[in-house]
Amino acid sequence: MAGSAVTADDRVAPGEDTTTGDAVAEAVDRVGGMLEGIFTTVRETVGRTGALLDAVAAAGRRPTRTDLARLQPLLRGQLARHTGLVSGSGFVAAPGLLADVPAWLEWWQPGPDGRAVPMLLDLDPTTSAYSDYTHWDWYTLPRGTGRRAVSGPYVDYLCTDEYTLTLAAPVLVAGAFAGVAAADVYLRHFEDAVGPALRRIPAPAYLVNPRGRVAASNSALRLAGSLARDLDVAAARGELLLHPCGEIPLTLVTHRS
Amino acid sequence: MNRLSSAARRAIFAPLDSEARVEVVVRRLGDAIALGLLADGEQLPGESDLAGRLNVSTVTLREALMALRQQGLVATRRGRGGGTFVQAPADTLHDRLRQTLFAHTIEELRDLADHYAVVAGGTARLAADRADSTDLDAPRRSLQEFADAGDAPARARVDGRLHVEIAAASQSARLTREEIRFQTEIGPLLCLPFAGEQAHRTADRQHRALLDAIAAGDGATARDLAEEHVRDALRPLIETRLDGTWQAAR
Repeated sequence: MAGSAVTADDRVAPGEDTTTGDAVAEAVDRVGGMLEGIFTTVRETVGRTGALLDAVAAAGRRPTRTDLARLQPLLRGQLARHTGLVSGSGFVAAPGLLADVPAWLEWWQPGPDGRAVPMLLDLDPTTSAYSDYTHWDWYTLPRGTGRRAVSGPYVDYLCTDEYTLTLAAPVLVAGAFAGVAAADVYLRHFEDAVGPALRRIPAPAYLVNPRGRVAASNSALRLAGSLARDLDVAAARGELLLHPCGEIPLTLVTHRS
Repeated sequence: MNRLSSAARRAIFAPLDSEARVEVVVRRLGDAIALGLLADGEQLPGESDLAGRLNVSTVTLREALMALRQQGLVATRRGRGGGTFVQAPADTLHDRLRQTLFAHTIEELRDLADHYAVVAGGTARLAADRADSTDLDAPRRSLQEFADAGDAPARARVDGRLHVEIAAASQSARLTREEIRFQTEIGPLLCLPFAGEQAHRTADRQHRALLDAIAAGDGATARDLAEEHVRDALRPLIETRLDGTWQAAR
């Protein structure tokens, strides 16, 4: 099969038998379906936040933290609905959006007893070196592209110190960027959710983000966190196959066994 | 128009007991010093003069000055040219950090340096394996911010963040948490050496070499540079502690 084109969208790619092809299709469906489910939640936050900010603008004033506090029941509900999978949900305001504070995250996380608790960060640049959150991928990607994004896996040293995937989407008010709605998934929870489907693939297989960072794997040879370089080159040489996960910007890589 | 209840009025206008008076004086002078309204090194009026101006007894004033001395906001010198002098908060910070440093024994500091160097070295080696160029955007920004930082607390703060960002580039949550723990433990102490321009320049040079090695994927060099960087940062602290050994002895 060497030299055959990379056909990423074929359910059964050249070089794979039907069993492998079925397992790959199942894994791709599992990953895509699960993350689309979380993106539905993020879209809900986008919609509610946008409506809230629109109403404040229509009233002829600038929003405050009190306005954003009205997202709390929604965010608590989201955490309860995705227990064991979503470890943080909320809206991150663009600096300057709010009238009462320079910057703000309306962000909720499951507390030790399972009840949602707000995250309160020190956003004062004179005391905290971490007050500027506008460089993180989960902020710059939706702001830069105007589209939803999966950022990570990355070590979230801003909030939780956990290895994390963040699903984020921009919130626009009258066409202008107002901040991002997002949800965090700890990588260990992601692995739990997609691991069984990956293990059913009878060949080395792993998920990578667009930069080649491994997010989950079915073999110890290449675990989450490692960087898979030059996948396109390897795919062109016919050493591996690349399978997209629907519209989700993760790719399932399978090696020819 | 008397809107306050008589009980509330009684509370407001109740005579200050001497403890409350001491607190009021401490707060008023302390705030003025913290805000820079009283300048560093400025001599306060003599005790009886100051007590008279504040309308408190000299006993109350002395208690207040004692509290301010304990907070490091004033210093009293005896003898000719003596009196009570304002100490600006920068000096207070310095003193507070020295106290923190002196709470560690030499052996503890040496052990801390060993532990930190091993963790920083291993972390840098992993980062060289795993970081792509985008992962290094954040530490590169911090590197520049560190180079431009004028005062020691800002230098220490940004230095801490830079090393946390390098740890995050290793993709290890445990190593990042460990780095954060080191920063909490000794990060603020680095204000002491970073007040010196020489130490600031050396650290800047080492940061650049370290990030270059990580970007080049040269794990062995990155490890060596990170270890050297930790040792060079902690050496002046240990030397300060050695110099002050006799002072700490009780």
